[in-house]
Amino acid sequence: MTPKVPEVIAEIAGLIGRSLVPGGDPAEVGANLGLSAALLGLAAQRIDGMAQALVEENRAVRALLARGAELFGDDGWAVLSRGADENFRISALERTNAELRGALLALHERVEQAVEESARALEAAIWDELRASTERRLVIGSPV
Amino acid sequence: MTHPLEPRLAAYLAGKMPHAEDLAVDQLSRISGGASRETYRFRLIWRERGEPRERRLILRRDPPASLIETERRIEFEAYRAFRNTPVPVPEMLYLEEESDALDHPFFIAEEISGYQAGPGTLWTEPYLGCHARLGRRKWEILGEISKADPQALGMTAVLPAGAPEDCWRRELDHWEGVLDADQTEPLPIVRAAIRWLRANPPPPPARLSVVHGDYRTGNFLYDTEGGVHGILDWEMCHLGDPLEDLGWSFNPVWSFGRELVGGLLPRDEAIAAWEAASGLKADPGALRWWELMGCVKGQAIWISSGKAWIDGGNREPIMVYPPWALQNAQDRAILKVMGRL
Repeated sequence: MTPKVPEVIAEIAGLIGRSLVPGGDPAEVGANLGLSAALLGLAAQRIDGMAQALVEENRAVRALLARGAELFGDDGWAVLSRGADENFRISALERTNAELRGALLALHERVEQAVEESARALEAAIWDELRASTERRLVIGSPV
Repeated sequence: MTHPLEPRLAAYLAGKMPHAEDLAVDQLSRISGGASRETYRFRLIWRERGEPRERRLILRRDPPASLIETERRIEFEAYRAFRNTPVPVPEMLYLEEESDALDHPFFIAEEISGYQAGPGTLWTEPYLGCHARLGRRKWEILGEISKADPQALGMTAVLPAGAPEDCWRRELDHWEGVLDADQTEPLPIVRAAIRWLRANPPPPPARLSVVHGDYRTGNFLYDTEGGVHGILDWEMCHLGDPLEDLGWSFNPVWSFGRELVGGLLPRDEAIAAWEAASGLKADPGALRWWELMGCVKGQAIWISSGKAWIDGGNREPIMVYPPWALQNAQDRAILKVMGRL
């Protein structure tokens, strides 16, 4: 989640503290507290499963990069595909996830330009993973 | 308790209304929402030739850092252009582009009171029975915007009119540029959509139209009978392909989880209402292009909002809500429009 959850919660804590000081516009204070409650609700939905989802996603993307490395002979993708998550702090998993998804984006672009039958199969697998990535991030009340 | 803006606003308005005596501002209260402008309602009271007068007004002020960077003059002039046309808009009164009076530029408009704007109330009584009528009215009015002659409205004086064949590229370049500037992590789904859009450009529009820029459920005032009393939030108004607004209004994130466009109407009925009012035809392929373009634009706006919060320019919770609540939904909307969901 971007902005990062700990930073947002810290900001909300400060906002709640400021809201206790008399003299604020009640409508503005109410709106900010309402939005803060909604944000806390969104964080609550995601936080317990976030590390698991990131580990699962990183593993899935590494598998796709391995296929891309084999198809196109790309050493960079091969190196990334052999990695493993060892630091399970969400911030560390998110950093790795960003690196892997950046490589996946490049692989997707490369696959679209390739004509081989195996490239079509890999392209379909990439779309499957992108769809799965939105399922991992789904929250109750999502409009889509 | 007096809001600190009230005496400053009164001083500004006193300068604009030299005939007014005992002018004062009270009941100033911020309206929730408005991540790109701070919006307040207030009461203006004064005496004129000894008679007491009162008017309910709206103040729209630029925030320290905005969800969308726009020219307030364009928004002001768009409202003025559509005043007394079939497109209902509030009356614009004063535009202040300097920051001396209230720290940031702002404009003041009449308040159209007694109606709802937020989409949340639409899904509750007494509004549940008005959706079809409201939907038809919504897309009829959009058709009126699309039909209007930008030159006759005076909009070509304040908005650049590029070549019709460049409409798609201008929009795509702009919003891709926003993503390039503001993304803080890779965005493989929206980047795939951008590649598809560049590879499959739409045909040029028959003519340039005024494009509202944010025509969606939530940006108009409605009543319980399905009537629309004011089209709001013209801050992204520009000249372009009239299908752009139609595509944006069909962005699945504005369906609020319902299988109806805008949460209100079946898609074919919305297109029919727009076509009948505008006199234009919605080419299905071109409309699909603009729907996907709307998804890219939406994602750029949500990403930008988060970036403004991260950079510290605006730490209000409303800046976090779009990336947290809508970024993934917007990715899913892209997949849906591309036939991948």
